[in-house]
Amino acid sequence: MATFILKRFLQLIPVLLGISILVFFLLHLIPGDPALTLLGQDATPEDLERLREIMGLNEPLYIQLLVFLQNLFQADLGMSIFQDTPVINLIAKHLPATLELALIALLIALIIAIPLGIVSAVKQFSWLDYCSMFFAQIGVSMPVFWMGLLLIIGFSVNLNILPSFGRGEPLFEAIGQTIQTGNFYYVMESLKHLILPAFTLGVMSAALITRMVRSAMLEVLKEDYIRTAEAKGVRGIIVIIKHAFRNALIPVVTIIGLQFGNLLGGAIVTETVFAWPGIGRLVITAISQRDFPVVQGCVLMIALIFALINLIVDILYAIINPKIQQV
Amino acid sequence: MELSKQVQPENKTSNLPKRSIPFRELLSLLTKSKSALIGGIFVLIVLFCAIFAPIIATHDPYEMDMSNRLLTPMEDGHILGTDQYGRDLFTRIIYGARVSLEVGLVSVVLAMVIGVTLGLISGYYGGWVDTIIMRIVDIFLSFPVLLLAIALVAALGPGIENVILALGFVYWTNYARIVRANVLSVKEEEYIQAAKTIGSNNFRIIFYNILPNCLAPIVVVATLGLGTAIVSEATLSFLGLGIQPPESSWGWALAFGMKFIREAPHLSIYPGLAIMFTVLGFNLLGDGIRDLTDSKLKRN
Amino acid sequence: MRKKNGYSILLAFTLIFAVFLTGCSYEEPTNSSNGTSDSKTNESASKREEIKVGLDVDAGTMDPRLSKDTTATRVTELVYDGLVYLTANLEAEPALATEWDNSDPTGWIFTLREDVTFHDGEPFTAEDVKYTYDSLIDPDFQAPYASLFEPIESVEVVSEYQVKFNLKDPSAPLLNYMDIGIVPKHIGEKNDTTLSNAPIGTGAYKMVGWDKNSKISFEANEDYWNGAPTTKKLTYFIIPDNSTRVASLESGDIDLVHSPLSPQDIKRLKDNDQFVVEELEGLGFTYLNFNQKHPILADLKVRQAISHLVNKEVISADIYQGMDTPGTSPIIPASWAFDDSIAGFPYDTDRAAELFKEAGWEDTDGDSILDKDGEKLSIILSTHSEDPNRMQAVEYLQNEFTKYGVETEVQTSEWPTFSTALQEGNFDISLVGWLNLIDPDRSFYNPFHTNGGSNYGKYSNPAVDKLVEDGRTALDLEERKSIYQEAAKIVTEEVAYNVLLYQGYIVMHNKNLKGFDPHPRGSLYGLKNAEAIN
Repeated sequence: MATFILKRFLQLIPVLLGISILVFFLLHLIPGDPALTLLGQDATPEDLERLREIMGLNEPLYIQLLVFLQNLFQADLGMSIFQDTPVINLIAKHLPATLELALIALLIALIIAIPLGIVSAVKQFSWLDYCSMFFAQIGVSMPVFWMGLLLIIGFSVNLNILPSFGRGEPLFEAIGQTIQTGNFYYVMESLKHLILPAFTLGVMSAALITRMVRSAMLEVLKEDYIRTAEAKGVRGIIVIIKHAFRNALIPVVTIIGLQFGNLLGGAIVTETVFAWPGIGRLVITAISQRDFPVVQGCVLMIALIFALINLIVDILYAIINPKIQQV
Repeated sequence: MELSKQVQPENKTSNLPKRSIPFRELLSLLTKSKSALIGGIFVLIVLFCAIFAPIIATHDPYEMDMSNRLLTPMEDGHILGTDQYGRDLFTRIIYGARVSLEVGLVSVVLAMVIGVTLGLISGYYGGWVDTIIMRIVDIFLSFPVLLLAIALVAALGPGIENVILALGFVYWTNYARIVRANVLSVKEEEYIQAAKTIGSNNFRIIFYNILPNCLAPIVVVATLGLGTAIVSEATLSFLGLGIQPPESSWGWALAFGMKFIREAPHLSIYPGLAIMFTVLGFNLLGDGIRDLTDSKLKRN
Repeated sequence: MRKKNGYSILLAFTLIFAVFLTGCSYEEPTNSSNGTSDSKTNESASKREEIKVGLDVDAGTMDPRLSKDTTATRVTELVYDGLVYLTANLEAEPALATEWDNSDPTGWIFTLREDVTFHDGEPFTAEDVKYTYDSLIDPDFQAPYASLFEPIESVEVVSEYQVKFNLKDPSAPLLNYMDIGIVPKHIGEKNDTTLSNAPIGTGAYKMVGWDKNSKISFEANEDYWNGAPTTKKLTYFIIPDNSTRVASLESGDIDLVHSPLSPQDIKRLKDNDQFVVEELEGLGFTYLNFNQKHPILADLKVRQAISHLVNKEVISADIYQGMDTPGTSPIIPASWAFDDSIAGFPYDTDRAAELFKEAGWEDTDGDSILDKDGEKLSIILSTHSEDPNRMQAVEYLQNEFTKYGVETEVQTSEWPTFSTALQEGNFDISLVGWLNLIDPDRSFYNPFHTNGGSNYGKYSNPAVDKLVEDGRTALDLEERKSIYQEAAKIVTEEVAYNVLLYQGYIVMHNKNLKGFDPHPRGSLYGLKNAEAIN
């Protein structure tokens, strides 16, 4: 197991390096002069030239790349051009908000998807099955930003029961406060801010996971040992939960891992609609300001998290299904 | 197990046909799956609208009439009302089918060409070629797809061609992985080995013996990918990186219509429904095809 | 066995949870200093402790000398004071300077307020003024607005509370630019990131927190020289999406929003008696910039003809819903130099056709696009994608131009791409705007002088060069007025710009917010005297 994990870690290095280089070149393809966006329309051409020189933008591209990689190896992501703050600090400030959002979104997705998926597999071709499959289809075919705004108008403006934007107290701090004071207010306030963006973000994953659970369950339900169990007279619900679902878990775990990555990516749009102060907002703003160090840092961080999650998924996989290790 | 081998279970390698399913047979099978049938009908309706847009449309799609802007549906002979320039919304949506389908189809074909080619090469030759290509796939996979598309459109500039290029360039990895897995599973089969021993060249073996085997899963992924591409185009439009006027995709119309969501909700609702209808159609079709190919496999 | 274990663990958890529940309550903490600044209501008091404002973007650096984005300006005007304060009528009033003597046109003497301290308790003196202006005019400091302070030769400390500005030439507009915030020398000299992230000024509010991309919080400066603010706390929330921001105002999550806004939201809130909508003449205009070096547009007649194809009334009334009004010249109505006798180019498609014909452009091949010597009359109309109203205006104009024989392609790109293209002169006709025109000099010297820094269209006319130079140094208001009116006539007639709209400035707030005076510049300094009542 240890060598397996180590090997996977080593494999991460070329991938991350490749991403860094890809992002670097991609960003330098984007037109728009950071010096100009920083100084604005009142700047004279001489001012712009001087700033470009200071920012190192006049160096040949390969020198800039080497400088970037050199700093990267020293775990230095550089300074934000616009914020006058180290990129790593910006990421540290924004990442928890995104992780919190993605985690709750995933939770919502699972709460919706697992029961729906199981029910529609067990009652295949019933109206329940058709309804949940219809939900799953709607979930993937509705643009996220549209759903987000409709939810805001419905729940915040018309019903006025949920806040329309922003993040409350960080959830874990709120839980801590609630435990300390015994007052549910803190957790509820935090959750109130979370619920709409998390639902918006999670709905597409919910749809995909529902389909996944359903097809995995259908597969398993056809297996002989389920039939044997049924034949032995084990009650239906126990067979489903204990035998069938457990075996259907392997593909489900995989897709959950993949979905978490998608959630991090999907957060870009959700965070813009709901003014959620996460890493998606950070990176979108940075792209629009041509704040390259921030974009590079964020992309690397997202890629790293994504890779780590995949690693965890693989380890879980190996635990659930020990045969894989030997491959 | 390494990152690249984690094929999404939805496209599980174990489910893939071991023997070729001719495309014609596949089409005839369509009628046997309810979801494929419904999806197929949806898609046909959209295709029909796109092809016969000039006949179906009630107005000129570009004709502006600022004194009749934001009319509500059924008002003054406009079935779905008018947009912010007084153009007939129904006509715009019918014509929008052309643009949205173009974005979807061309970007999917592009992704397919890139992905299938790399997948074939990777699987057939193996060795370091395989390693490099699969590492590239890993790189693309650990990059949020949308972010990559945003950066690409920002780099290339807005406009329909660039949106298509960007989407094609980010969505190819699925094809590569599926094709590679397929190639690996059929490579050692007797008939391939036989073709090799009688001296068929690599190109011939790949195109005549291996590629047909991968056709069914490729069709499934492509059909599902069409929906994804159409939704992604809408998202890019929302972020200000869409196509350029006066053309209008549904995504563009939806993103812009949302600015009027309170006073003229029809501006966003109908383009949004058009997107949902189409994506639903392609997804049902894709699912149906997958079920059919799977069940055929099981029967054999 | 295992099964039994599982059940007992589950049972134990349920019990613990039940015990936990019984010990819990759900009530809003009464003490607002408890960390939850988001408490929606506070029923005990009718006056709320906090005013919440929604803004569109997050700030970059908050150093007033370096900042250029609108949100940073909204911050610095609360946290800092300038030597002067610009009133809503754009007149300089005493602020940190109690009086000034510019009887010597190149040696201005400012007398400073003596009882002022910075938020960290250090006293404000002439040294701070000298330090601030020295860095502004230092080329290595890279101040974005350095060009505005270019007339300053040097700054001398006369006494602890007196400074002298030595000017290269007499300068009329300079005094109005001197509302830029004075930064503390003892902190600025440290050269760290304090001023850009946690500004310390003399202003009405102290900045106490900045959650990037989320909110910026302020607390009243109780020792403020101009009287302590009415409300203790003030928070700017960053809500990028225009629709969400207004929805937040409607749902009561925030108290005030202001331009940029969607015209359709303004209309809706005007009809809602829960909200107050204040419409002012803004300090900006939106214009079509013609590239004078473009082979087709170099012909004055073509530029004039195209100008006649622009229906400003429709753009103003329909796309902007009257939020911005039709414009004619680069002098805004709010300015003392405004001249309503400049007619510009009224919408007249017949006149346009005549002018095209005079310039040699006619449709000879029947494709409904004008041509000349086998070349089509074809242009690219560009703008930036961040502003949906400009996007709509461009799409509308494309339709109009094409209808009358000008083949028009639209190009909308993100601001950085667009502004770089502008700077490089890489455009045909672009739709763009100027903001913050507190003096006509701002919209004349750099945009129209042959060597002007933002003369994107490479417009050049020696007569205009002379006028805009004179406008800087002339000190008599009437004289300056006639200079700028003359320049405005020329640049309008020669279509360097076709000024499309005079921008309005709109504030929308909850009717429970009282005592706020809007400022055409968009300044939120007026919040000092505002209070929110439940």
